[in-house]
Amino acid sequence: MSIILNDVSKKFGNHVVVDRLALEIRDGEFFVLLGASGSGKSTILRMIAGLSYPDEGKILIHEADMTYAPVQQRGIGFVFQNYSIFSHMTVAENIEFGLRIRRMPRPSRVRRIEELLEMVGLAGLGNRMPAQLSGGQQQRVALARALAHQPKVLLLDEPFGALDVKIRARLRRTLREVQRKLRVTTILVTHDQEEAFELGDRIGVLDRGRLQGTGEPEEIYRCPRSDFVATFLGGGNLLSGQPVAASGLFGSVLPVPEEHRREEGQGVNLFFRPEHVCLDKERPLDGRPILGKGVIVEQVFAGSLRRVHVRLPRLPGCRQLAPRPNFGQEDWILEGELPSDLPFESGEYWVSLRQWSFLAPPRPRLLTFDNKASEGVAHLSMAQWLGSRIEGNVTVLRNRKEHESDEKVRAEVQSRLAEAGLQGATVLLPQGKSSEVLLREQASNTYNFLLLSRPKQEAKLSHLGITRMLTRMLEGAEVPLLIMPAEFRPIRRILVCTAAGEPGKNDVKLGAWVARRTDASVTLLHVLAPHTNDASARRHISNAASTLESLDIPVETKLVESFNRVEAILMETSRGDFDLLVLGGHGPHSSSFFRPEDITLQVLKRVNRPVLVVPAQEEV
Amino acid sequence: MAIADMNRGIPQLPERRFKLPVIIALMYTALLVVAPLLAITWGALSSGIYATLREITSPDALHALKLTLILALAASALNALLGLVTAWVLVRHDFPGRAFLNALVDLPFAISPVIAGLMLILLFGRQGWLKALPDALGIQMVFAWPGMLLATVFVSLPFVVREVMPVLRHLGTEQEEVAYTLGATYWQTFWNVTLPAIRWGFLYGISLTFARALGEFGAVLVVSGGVSGMTETATLFIFRSMDDRNYAAAYSMALVLALASFCALILIELTKGKIRRRG
Repeated sequence: MSIILNDVSKKFGNHVVVDRLALEIRDGEFFVLLGASGSGKSTILRMIAGLSYPDEGKILIHEADMTYAPVQQRGIGFVFQNYSIFSHMTVAENIEFGLRIRRMPRPSRVRRIEELLEMVGLAGLGNRMPAQLSGGQQQRVALARALAHQPKVLLLDEPFGALDVKIRARLRRTLREVQRKLRVTTILVTHDQEEAFELGDRIGVLDRGRLQGTGEPEEIYRCPRSDFVATFLGGGNLLSGQPVAASGLFGSVLPVPEEHRREEGQGVNLFFRPEHVCLDKERPLDGRPILGKGVIVEQVFAGSLRRVHVRLPRLPGCRQLAPRPNFGQEDWILEGELPSDLPFESGEYWVSLRQWSFLAPPRPRLLTFDNKASEGVAHLSMAQWLGSRIEGNVTVLRNRKEHESDEKVRAEVQSRLAEAGLQGATVLLPQGKSSEVLLREQASNTYNFLLLSRPKQEAKLSHLGITRMLTRMLEGAEVPLLIMPAEFRPIRRILVCTAAGEPGKNDVKLGAWVARRTDASVTLLHVLAPHTNDASARRHISNAASTLESLDIPVETKLVESFNRVEAILMETSRGDFDLLVLGGHGPHSSSFFRPEDITLQVLKRVNRPVLVVPAQEEV
Repeated sequence: MAIADMNRGIPQLPERRFKLPVIIALMYTALLVVAPLLAITWGALSSGIYATLREITSPDALHALKLTLILALAASALNALLGLVTAWVLVRHDFPGRAFLNALVDLPFAISPVIAGLMLILLFGRQGWLKALPDALGIQMVFAWPGMLLATVFVSLPFVVREVMPVLRHLGTEQEEVAYTLGATYWQTFWNVTLPAIRWGFLYGISLTFARALGEFGAVLVVSGGVSGMTETATLFIFRSMDDRNYAAAYSMALVLALASFCALILIELTKGKIRRRG
């Protein structure tokens, strides 16, 4: 192994950029790290180079621990996106730099420069100044310069990002040839999947600092092992559903293989690429699974083929995950392709599949905070109940004081967990202030919910009239917050208040997400000022209702006229005896903090029911 | 069509005509800059070139010129070194009080040089707070050249910092990081990569510092006490000659200073052109 990353983590402030990354790169391999911007890919490269150091974990280069070795000793070559040519030196002097530093004798330096210029296709341009070169040529100089001292490892950070398409293709070819010839272990970071497919011996797909999958280009495209890799690489259609128990069929059409039928009621995701969708005018008779009859709603000419969107009625018990359905969309709208040399015909098509794969859906994750001060275990009971309903993993966090031993606190937490029937939960006992450790944990992991108990009345209150802890969480949490009262009861009826804060889509979506997994009914409440006929509010409510109906959730809508929104919400809560209120919040990135007159806050203070506060930006 | 295509991309020169704003600008510079220059030249040469030469080769005048040159060179050297460090710190480091330090750098521009001189007297004078410091080192600060140097350094402090900062910021850190990956140490990187990349901005800042130091009057006047042949700089010499109604001496020295400043100006313009071309 040439390079080994061993559970490497890196934080910037509270934000986790690289999360326990484990990766092995073979000798002479061309490895491409593919990820969207902000996925932490450049940070990983910089840590391998020694331009940045990990907070945790180890980096080995050729069997030597290089985690904290200075950059000069690592024997690497690095190419930046913006060339970073030394502008006051000629091309030859640029390439010579690493050799001069290493005190190589002049005749061999000259020979080596000639060799490198030849290799990157710049023979004869050694005396030019960088300003006289095009961007592509400058990047060739950067490549030659990085290879001059014969590094063991070549690292490239989006090297073609600043170039136009044609030059990019030519440069890619040069890079591939040079790499093949020298067999230098290479890591290239990019967001361009075409580049990844063309250059990589292997590809690693990165999402929010985590490696989602690695493999050879064909392998990772054909058999993606997670939802993210499937939809990020090449895109496609992702449907989620539960195999019908008796027949083991997905949407009563597709047989689900044995390994995905672990437990009764276990969900499964179906994934297929646009090129594997067959569209026929006649019903296909060769036994291909037929999804239904659909209509082409959109078509885009794309050279050799035509990309189409087909609308078709959904199959029972299944719903669409990708392409991400529009708000209020009831039918499926799937991506497909037609050959473009045939004339395009509108009208109805039979939609069937040529190829598909099943993926196990990721388990939802629930984080709860357990505090000694809170006497009850209602929040733990809710975590247990909700966790089993959503088939999720529960993590319990308790902050530990410096003088407290890990074993003692763990035993205490475990006994409380046993009381709530939550023995299977993961227990975390970090040291620090409760709100700080909690904020750090929710930011570092992909949790779906954060469950908090409403603290005791005598606790110190902030300027908002709630505890400081709750204030910090409302202002800082990036995940939906479920705030529990002292008593637990199962969720059967959910009230989604679209009038509190922004009339958001996320609170509706999250309400639906909970309702679908708990078999609860949903009531959509919108409070209007009297004598206003707000058409957009009505449209929003009806869109929301159809979104819920498309998921087979029993739904009721309610438009209430009142000047006092808080009173109206409270009245409706007690009248309908709801078990859960869903309200919109601000989210962590909002510049405006909660104000005392905020509706969500007022309701939260006065109601004695579980409240789910949805951050404004959170996508569900 | 073809001609239009050929012309595309060539920057069009403005029309060559005397319009009102052009006339105003010309009049303004002529009145405020050219006329005084001519007057100085006329004044210096009116009693003959030999009289002028005699005046500026008198022992007092020569001493004043020598002192001015030494002070200006020393102040430029000090400000070059410390200004570079300050600019580096302001661009590359973040620390509590960075914004405050950044604002502080401009203070010498905002404060009148006379007040700057006064502050030095208060600090290092007979009852000054820091009087013990020069005493311990056996240096006379006030009414001697160390105080004058300090005053000159103070009034010309912002130039190098302000000229180097934008160039350094524009340069970024990637070129340096490349140098590290190629095996260069921090010193090697600074000498081979960073300094050459910022050299024109750096030189420009130094030339401005030098020009400012040559012409400094107020702060030096307060600090030096202006003892002729001892702590008298060229500007102080002019001032005293005027007082003594020795106009020939005053005009001659003024002409020499003006010429020196003019040469510094040409140098400045040359380096500025380099900055523009080389980025």
